[in-house]
Amino acid sequence: MTFFSERAGVIKASCILSIRDTFTTIRPSLWFLQLIVPTIFAMFFFSMIAYAAGADQEFVIIGNAVQSIGMTTIYAVSGIPGVQKHIGTMTPLVISPSGLFSIFFGMSLFSIAAGFLSIAFSLTFAAFVFGVSMASINLLSVVIIILLTAFSVGGISMMIGSIGIYMRTSAIIANIATYIGLVLCGVNFPVSDLPAWVQKIAYCHPLTYAVEATRGAISGSSVTDLAEPIIIMIFLGILFIILAYLMFLFFEKLSRKKGRMDVF
Amino acid sequence: MNLKAVSSSFKQQGIQFLADPQWIIPSIIAPFLFTVVALYMYSGVGDIDSPVVLTAVLGGGVLGMWGNMLFASGFTITYDRYNGTIEPIMLTPTHLIDVITGRSIWNTLIGLLNAVLVFVSAELIFGVGVSVAEPLFFFPMLIMTLFSLASIGLMLSALFVLTRASFVVMTILEFPIYVFSGALFPVSVLGGLAPISYVLAPSWGVDALKTTAVHGHESMTEFGIAFSLAMMLFLMLVYIAAAYILFRVIERNIRESGTLVRY
Repeated sequence: MTFFSERAGVIKASCILSIRDTFTTIRPSLWFLQLIVPTIFAMFFFSMIAYAAGADQEFVIIGNAVQSIGMTTIYAVSGIPGVQKHIGTMTPLVISPSGLFSIFFGMSLFSIAAGFLSIAFSLTFAAFVFGVSMASINLLSVVIIILLTAFSVGGISMMIGSIGIYMRTSAIIANIATYIGLVLCGVNFPVSDLPAWVQKIAYCHPLTYAVEATRGAISGSSVTDLAEPIIIMIFLGILFIILAYLMFLFFEKLSRKKGRMDVF
Repeated sequence: MNLKAVSSSFKQQGIQFLADPQWIIPSIIAPFLFTVVALYMYSGVGDIDSPVVLTAVLGGGVLGMWGNMLFASGFTITYDRYNGTIEPIMLTPTHLIDVITGRSIWNTLIGLLNAVLVFVSAELIFGVGVSVAEPLFFFPMLIMTLFSLASIGLMLSALFVLTRASFVVMTILEFPIYVFSGALFPVSVLGGLAPISYVLAPSWGVDALKTTAVHGHESMTEFGIAFSLAMMLFLMLVYIAAAYILFRVIERNIRESGTLVRY
């Protein structure tokens, strides 16, 4: 019991520190702008390509609203170890008795919550700025899907972030992970347009189910109708968190052995 | 302008880049993936070697150049803050704009490499067939477009000096240029927002670039490529003049307030 309460304490402290750190560096208004401006422009950008290409703009706008989690959660979470190396705090964190996983999990919680906010705002823009019809929306389904998206995408982001403990930088992997959803996950065109072997990879990514389920929920599908993508997202979320935990242990051990904690 | 300082900072930026060249990769990932998305979306319009697809690849190259330029401009001062080298730079008699100009010229050259990487990747993966209509005019136009992006980068560098949240500002500024440059779709589809494109030098550069590369490309105006080129050059001069004034004002203000090192 003491072990778990200690871990919970570390997670809570890391989360609070990361929030304070964020808002000490940038003003809340600027943070909020960072959350919404790229999202609005991304939706606008891809909807204009859709318009020029004669594709379905509504399909693209909803897809990009969900993909907005890329910058807020995937990039932010997977880049945390790289940032710690850069500002020189990785070594003190490793020396502390708390495991790196608990610390980075705590630091990630704010970005995971920001991912939820990002999708919620983006869908609001989709309705009020881009005129996507929300007449049949099933709000409960949308809320559950967004929560599960933030959770499952947070898991995969932590997996990617763990590599940053060992590598000189996680920026390259974080960039790929942030934007790959645009191609793989049915954000701008159906997954079925991709080659068969790429489709198999696409269906290992929680964002593919999130995009599909969000489009369903906006068309009025209930939680029961969307049971399959929802169950898969829960499964993938749990799987990725477990894998992230194991990967953190592995890369932490490897980095200690090779002395790569401060290499960036 | 202190040319010796410009050439020295150019050389220093080059040495820093070559010490860790992997940093070019993050700035080409997003533009390359955007090009892939555009290629998939435009594949419904025509064959893979149709003019519209060539337009998408060219646009992707421009996005690559902008991505590199924006992030290089932003990080150029940020890293000085991180590394503690901003104070020595400010203590020298050289003006900050001379140092930044040298670095920007290096970043411009890397931006060109960035564009070429997007073209080559698209060719290798999709077999697009990047064959340009007028190669003699295309390459000078590509370089001019790149310099137009660099002039915006120079102007923004002045603002990046002011803020310690440069990454946030970079993130905010990345997409608007993607949208208004008309790189991946014609500016005409922007409707009432199209005038914003007219005050951006890269929009004219992209227009001139597409005119030299794509058979039958409809220019932004009826005046043709010479007008696009003239507009690009004029706007570039305006940006450079604005950057010069901004740097002078900001340099004086930060010396007075003593807030430059804060991050």
